[in-house]
Amino acid sequence: MNYIWNFEDVFNNWYALAIGAAGTVRLFVVCLVLGMGLGLIIALGKRSRNRPIRWLSTAFVEFFRNTPVLVQILWFYYALPIIVPIEIDPFLAAILGISLNSAAYSAEIFRGGIQSIEPGQWEAARAIGMNSVQTLYRVILPQAIRRIVPALTNRGVEIFKMTTLASVVAYVELLQQGKLIASLSFNPLEVYTVIAAIFLIILYPIVRLTYALERHLARSD
Amino acid sequence: MYEWDFSPVLAEGGFLLVGFRNTLILTGTALSGGLVVGLLLAFARLSEKRWLNVPAGVVIEVFRTTPPLVQLFWFYFGLPIVLNVEMTPFLAASLTFMIQSGAFFAEIFRAGIVSIERGQWEAAHAIGMTYNQCMRRIVLPQAVKRMFPSMMERSIELMKTTTLVATVSYADLLFQANELAQKTFRPLEVFTVVALIYFVSISFISFIASRMERRFAKSGEFTP
Repeated sequence: MNYIWNFEDVFNNWYALAIGAAGTVRLFVVCLVLGMGLGLIIALGKRSRNRPIRWLSTAFVEFFRNTPVLVQILWFYYALPIIVPIEIDPFLAAILGISLNSAAYSAEIFRGGIQSIEPGQWEAARAIGMNSVQTLYRVILPQAIRRIVPALTNRGVEIFKMTTLASVVAYVELLQQGKLIASLSFNPLEVYTVIAAIFLIILYPIVRLTYALERHLARSD
Repeated sequence: MYEWDFSPVLAEGGFLLVGFRNTLILTGTALSGGLVVGLLLAFARLSEKRWLNVPAGVVIEVFRTTPPLVQLFWFYFGLPIVLNVEMTPFLAASLTFMIQSGAFFAEIFRAGIVSIERGQWEAAHAIGMTYNQCMRRIVLPQAVKRMFPSMMERSIELMKTTTLVATVSYADLLFQANELAQKTFRPLEVFTVVALIYFVSISFISFIASRMERRFAKSGEFTP
């Protein structure tokens, strides 16, 4: 138990961690935008009157929610290049796995939000002559999104945590750089403590903010 | 055009089955431990004693806001250095996922307990029950029914999270798949089959869960 912690080697390698952090943020932003955007489209697909579209959207959501995201990333990395003639680098594999997985989860959040708006709103919008696309963009979505902001923020936090899985296919992000430093300086304890702390410092304020937002919405509704 | 050929994968089916068994063992261990850890953390957090609720809050928040893969590496590569013990992949993974899912379960338990009306506590006090009796006999049985859907969701999340142990070489389903893909040079078929195994088993569990939820709802004891 008399281990003497020594963070010196970690801080001497701050530059490697900074490169990793940049990789993490890059992956996070791409997956956040793609995941949420696609999620909204799929949520609308699940409400479509067209049966094949509805069926496909449901199948997509069920499949991506009921398989582990790491399996998805590895599938896109090792298996997909065999059937499609494109080069899949670790960044692309991670984007595909994490974005599609997040799209399935956020689709359910969007669907819940849209469903929570009273049918009277649709009827009222139709009565004053809006078509369904206009109703959706002007009336339903602005109200629905306000209600689901906490759930979407939670999803964002999950996506940020999920980016560490990209290290499995050797994409350069925080954890991957941590592994590198740990193997060069033989200090896994300090390295992984610092990495955990970095995630905690970035995400904890956001999590607090979600709690506050939830309380605020609960009161105003 | 690529020609799919599942026969090498099916010939080695037993290899994947071993992995699937290990996945179930790890999920079961982490789940039963996680429920206990979660209940203890929830009680500690609800306690009025500061030396109990502050540390419980810290554990819950730290494990909820850091990535599980970082936690696993910390327990597997870091912890043995401080404790001077030998760490096996299974032990590291069970510990990590017990505490990690425990942190999430704790919040579910806490929300469930808090959701029970104050009147129930007061009524139990009035007929002379102590805090512990009231918690065990009155509050928890009602809270558990309300918590059931989120508990099932968390358990399924846990099963999916166990795939991370493949990175520290525990022979779970994903690890076995990786080995088999290298052995047979058929990554497409292997990973597709493994994705399907996860899909079918997880869909089955959520199907059972939703059936049970409906049963609770019908029995009238379930108030959302």
